[in-house]
Amino acid sequence: MQYKSQAVAKPYFIAAIALFVAQVLFGLIMGLQYVVGDFLFPEIPFNVARMVHTNALIVWLLMAFMGASYYLVPEEAETELYSPGLATLMFWVFLVAAALTVAGYLLLSYSTLADVTMNKLLPTMGREFLEQPTITKIGIVIVALAFLFNIGMTILRGRKTVINLVLLMGLTGLAVFFLFAFYNPDNLVLDKYFWWWVVHLWVEGVWELILGAILAFVLVKTTGVDREVIEKWLYVIIAMTLITGIIGTGHHYYWIGAPEYWQWWGSIFSAMEPIPFFMMTVFAFNIVNKRRRDHPNKPAMLWALGTAVMAFLGAGVWGFLHTLSPVNYYTHGSQITAAHGHMAFYGAYVMINITIISYAMPLLRGRNAANPLKSQVWEMWSFWLMTIAMVFITLFLTGAGILQAYLQRMGENPQPFMVVQEQISLFYWLREIAGVIFLIGLVVYIASFFVGQNDPEAATES
Amino acid sequence: MTVDRSVIQSNYPPGDLAIWIFILAELAVFAIFFAAYAFTRLQHVELFNEYQLTLDREAALINTLALITSSYFVVRSVTAIKLDDRRRCVHWLLAALSMGLLFLIVKTFEYVQHYSEGINLSSNIFYMFYLSLTFFHFMHVIMGMVILAAIAVMAARGRYSRQEHTGVESGASYWHMVDLVWLILFPLVYVMR
Amino acid sequence: MKQLSDYLGIRPCTLVYLLLIFFSLTTFLVGQMGFSGLGMSLLVLSLALIKGQLVGSYFMGLGSVCGLWRWPVFIWLFIPGILIGMAFTLSYQ
Repeated sequence: MQYKSQAVAKPYFIAAIALFVAQVLFGLIMGLQYVVGDFLFPEIPFNVARMVHTNALIVWLLMAFMGASYYLVPEEAETELYSPGLATLMFWVFLVAAALTVAGYLLLSYSTLADVTMNKLLPTMGREFLEQPTITKIGIVIVALAFLFNIGMTILRGRKTVINLVLLMGLTGLAVFFLFAFYNPDNLVLDKYFWWWVVHLWVEGVWELILGAILAFVLVKTTGVDREVIEKWLYVIIAMTLITGIIGTGHHYYWIGAPEYWQWWGSIFSAMEPIPFFMMTVFAFNIVNKRRRDHPNKPAMLWALGTAVMAFLGAGVWGFLHTLSPVNYYTHGSQITAAHGHMAFYGAYVMINITIISYAMPLLRGRNAANPLKSQVWEMWSFWLMTIAMVFITLFLTGAGILQAYLQRMGENPQPFMVVQEQISLFYWLREIAGVIFLIGLVVYIASFFVGQNDPEAATES
Repeated sequence: MTVDRSVIQSNYPPGDLAIWIFILAELAVFAIFFAAYAFTRLQHVELFNEYQLTLDREAALINTLALITSSYFVVRSVTAIKLDDRRRCVHWLLAALSMGLLFLIVKTFEYVQHYSEGINLSSNIFYMFYLSLTFFHFMHVIMGMVILAAIAVMAARGRYSRQEHTGVESGASYWHMVDLVWLILFPLVYVMR
Repeated sequence: MKQLSDYLGIRPCTLVYLLLIFFSLTTFLVGQMGFSGLGMSLLVLSLALIKGQLVGSYFMGLGSVCGLWRWPVFIWLFIPGILIGMAFTLSYQ
């Protein structure tokens, strides 16, 4: 750790991992509810479990992005953070807001929660992934603005690197596009437009910039390859991400009442969305092959390469599977979507955050470069357990999705939704087993922070 | 002067490798668009033939000549910088930019004409393709001009020389790509029937 | 690094430029005279592909590159060229 103020990242990372655990637990509850419909009913109905599962994911990813930024921006800018105090304050505001919101989801009915939080004054609730009460949303905006101010001032004050500027661009986009969550028009088509401008432009637009910047930072640090080489790649990846990602929003316009030409625009441009992810894979392996040194932190490198591969598979390949409008006509909203969602979020955003945590945490905990060997071994085990479990979750959901689309929407005698659900329950059971293995991987991951702590640090640079 | 055979061939195209990867990705999008046009036309031959006649072929010819000429000017600017002639390099770039501007003006007039006739992306499938393809290309002309302008500024400031002119070559390659796409687009959309 | 074009100067490119103008005018005239049909379409398409290859080889300078990078423009012209040719041929059946 080169700058004292980088330490503010630590609570963000810890809270992120805690929320990650909550997310996975609720995922398992839901997974079981797919096959045992009344499991935990009425305490935790399916819709509530789903809300907690997805919202916890978003919040922990945001927290980890913030932690990552607080860690890497000072180091890149070569100056202390503008205000470490503000960063710590905002951490507590964010954590308390998130905890209260989740408590609200679990303890109150959704309509009561809407009443209590005075949703009527500025109605923003009730939209998938943006279920948070208006007051929580306002809290998110305040936290995001304070965060941007803090990061922006630090960058202004110090060295301006491409990594920092790309990160800042991504974070600014993240904050700006969230503002669409406050507009909730009566017209359903418009409503869908604005909703996608948050959801899609986040995960298939600006978040990719954040991902690219964090990946580039970790690669610069662990491989010692020239910054110029890495920056050039970053430029091209970002240009491609923005072109394909922004117009690719059209793949959400197929069936919402938008003009017909979106069938073409959406199909063609979103079919190109795997390209920037593919470039990222080539980029990561290229840089690692050119490495000037072997960094002692092996797991960080493993997570970085894992991100590059899994993001391409999950976001790129599994996205392409159902992005063309003639295909999407049959697969829309089926388990194929769930398969894509799981592997894309894990491969792109969960893994990039674990990458930076894996790189930064040993340093934040006062080590020179890396954890002791034993802890590294545990962490790498967790990598393989979680990643392979996620591959299987994705494959089982894909199988379920193909069967579902076929039985429910194709052929001479399409069957009703619930009848089909019964028929694909075997896939849901298998997915749940893979989910349990994922949880075991996560437990091993957390254990890796505690095992072998008194051993000497793994060998430093060779 | 004797020609040393061993140095006249390179393994890499002129310009930065990164811009070439970008060019390839862009070309791929256009290729898909072209093929989609041709195969959609197959379903609606009469409609495509009918509405193709409403397009302004003269304007398209002027634009074709403008882009070819500007591409040639860009070639000359690259040659100039290789001879260390910065002034000429900038002049040719400005000439190329003026041709790009001509393209934008002519194309804008075409769009204004269509707009006043009430034609838009939803009018019919032919206009959908025609407007999408040409507008996507139009955006590339603008992007290419921004790149050329940036290079002209840096060339004027003396950033490039006989030894180091990768930037000029990168911008030139991008601009030729914009030209290349139009060379297929023009006959496909305006002439072939 | 010096390339073939450095020795030949600008002349080949000037010639290519004139050819491009000529082919474009031909294409335009085919349109103006109202020619249509498969033969004419394929002729115009061929002219376009030749123009593209000229731009790739001379203007973009791929003609003096050896190895993989010599081919991207050719392949880019070849595949859509075949597809467009196929679609037009089918449309006349």
